[in-house]
Amino acid sequence: MNDREPRENRREPREEHREPREALPHSALRPHEALLYGLRPPGDPGPAHERGHPVIRAPRRRQKRITAHEPTSPSAKTPSDGHATPSRSTTADGQAVHSERISAVAAARHMGRVFAAEALKQHRRVFGSKLVVFSMLIWPLMQLAATYYTVRPLAATPGIAERWPLAADPGRLLAFLATGTLGFAFFFSLVQSAWHFSFERVTGTLELLFLSPANRLAIVVANGFGALVQNVWLFTCFMVAMFTVLDVVHVAHPAMYAVVFLALLVPAVAWGAFLNSLLIFSRDSAFLYTLLDDPMWFAAGVRLPLFALPGWVRAAGSVLPLTGSLVVVRGALLDGRTLAGLAPDLLALGALSALLVLAAVVALRLGEATAQRTGRLKLF
Amino acid sequence: MIETEDLRKEFRAGRAGIVRRRSGRAVTTAVDGLTLAIPPGRVTGLLGLNGAGKTTTIKIIATLLRQTSGTVRVDGLDPLRDPNAVRRRINLIAGGERMVYARMTGRENLWYFGQLYDVPRGVLRPRIDELLALVGLDAAADTVVERYSRGMAQRLSIARGLINDPAYLLLDEPTLGLDAPIARDLRRVVARLAREGKGVLLTSHYLAEVEELCRHVYVIGDGRHLTEGSPAELTARTGCHRRVRVTVAGHSAQVESAVAAFAGRLGARADVEVAENGDMTVSLSHPDEIAGPLTMAIVDAGGTLAGLEVAEPSLEDAILTLNDEAGLVTA
Repeated sequence: MNDREPRENRREPREEHREPREALPHSALRPHEALLYGLRPPGDPGPAHERGHPVIRAPRRRQKRITAHEPTSPSAKTPSDGHATPSRSTTADGQAVHSERISAVAAARHMGRVFAAEALKQHRRVFGSKLVVFSMLIWPLMQLAATYYTVRPLAATPGIAERWPLAADPGRLLAFLATGTLGFAFFFSLVQSAWHFSFERVTGTLELLFLSPANRLAIVVANGFGALVQNVWLFTCFMVAMFTVLDVVHVAHPAMYAVVFLALLVPAVAWGAFLNSLLIFSRDSAFLYTLLDDPMWFAAGVRLPLFALPGWVRAAGSVLPLTGSLVVVRGALLDGRTLAGLAPDLLALGALSALLVLAAVVALRLGEATAQRTGRLKLF
Repeated sequence: MIETEDLRKEFRAGRAGIVRRRSGRAVTTAVDGLTLAIPPGRVTGLLGLNGAGKTTTIKIIATLLRQTSGTVRVDGLDPLRDPNAVRRRINLIAGGERMVYARMTGRENLWYFGQLYDVPRGVLRPRIDELLALVGLDAAADTVVERYSRGMAQRLSIARGLINDPAYLLLDEPTLGLDAPIARDLRRVVARLAREGKGVLLTSHYLAEVEELCRHVYVIGDGRHLTEGSPAELTARTGCHRRVRVTVAGHSAQVESAVAAFAGRLGARADVEVAENGDMTVSLSHPDEIAGPLTMAIVDAGGTLAGLEVAEPSLEDAILTLNDEAGLVTA
């Protein structure tokens, strides 16, 4: 959503991230060692790059140094600092092969670290300027206002109260549209995130992601999750405040708020993982960005109830997880439906989310295998 | 030890599709039966003209490409079977600055990749400081990369390649576009990493760099193994010529005919130039050490030596000779 705002994202170095700077490492070297490495001896003033001549300096002497590991010892610690457990197996021709098993706990912890890394990357990408934070509120708010004042005249239509009772009540109509806009903000922020992710191919960093041992599904899920949290938190807070002021929310049980939150979050993240997996492996999938903008807004029932849409649009919308999410969110928040009442919708939504994650896994495996065969990761 | 055996990689041209069947597409062989060994503690060179298959070979070892046939082993691990175990042991640094995130700071970039490689927290922070110092970016650690110069971004890319403390480092044109002093400092770092026990595979178009760093060099062309050995062995084996250039005070027909006779005996051709001041410069190329006999022949013919230069054959001469012999052209 912030893409709709002008980008003034060049930032000054942020002081709050600076670490206390230690003494220059080559100060630990003896003068002749410093000269050996092409350095000025300790005591020589100022780093060279400040005078426009950067130099690569030798690291300070530390207990822990960058050293190669024992090359073929089965008991050798892996270079990634011992998270893997080496074990031996034997191939058909009798050759000993070392393989390394990662424990489930280590894998889960690694996944958490990938989430943190992707969150930072998304943050830097999205929050080049602090003004972008406001765009996250203003853009969906303007969308909501435009939709509300477009649909509002329907209230004057004769017989509308029988056909769509909600349209006759401005407060409830606003709540209906606000839930739609909130859901759309969740899902479209992931379309944008996936589109951004596809640029990793252009910047040359996509190969680096696949060079690392990080779990591929964790990367795409984390990328989507990082984008989602940072893109929608402000609008979500605003919506909660608005619903409180309008007093239009009628939930059967306070726990239904958690159901609503999960009904938005889980399918959205699955949706993001699916899109990311598609967009990073196909150079020609940018059309999805256009395809999933206005059509998603229309077919998922963001501004009109599903029953008001033609059959073929409803059929198209049924494959979008946003459609199911809005059914649950509106049912729980506006109609006071219970967990039991929403169970079929929740099951369908859960199945669709699982299907999306499964499709993402398959797309990642096929995509990586194809990239390894064709070398297309570097092409853009 | 990284070992490849009979490595072969084919690419199919164009795209597969419903109409155009895969079997009908032209096949390009990028790597054709390469057998290499990259031991720890040594910088191993991989040389060849553009399109020789150097980058493809490196990417196969790095698990970014999958070979069509042949085997790769990294410390006994098969990248096809244990790709993540291999990925923990290696890293790749390529030339150019397109391998870091422009809107993150240098420190954040290293932290990000440290997370992807699951470097433990307690190790990661000091390692980031150490690497930033190693590449001379400690003062610019908290500046966003988009404000870096090309050389700074490239140096950060080098630090990124070391973030997982790899046992093997694959360097694909690492000094491409770097200023000479920075490239020189990088060469020192690479040499030191090899001394500390890391196995390094280096491709570079700067043959002087390869000559300086590599104790063993593989020369490939059109994906095929042409020869291998130390830089000195390669130049000796390819019979590259030393160039001897003798300046003789004043012009003398006797000296000129003595030089022609000397060259005739060797089956070589001597070039004689006469400068404006009348001095004569004799140039002669031959694989053997001929500076002594040539100067003796000149002196015996009554010439007075005013200068002597001997240019030893370089690795570049050897590579060009090898490619000429193999009839290869630049892709």
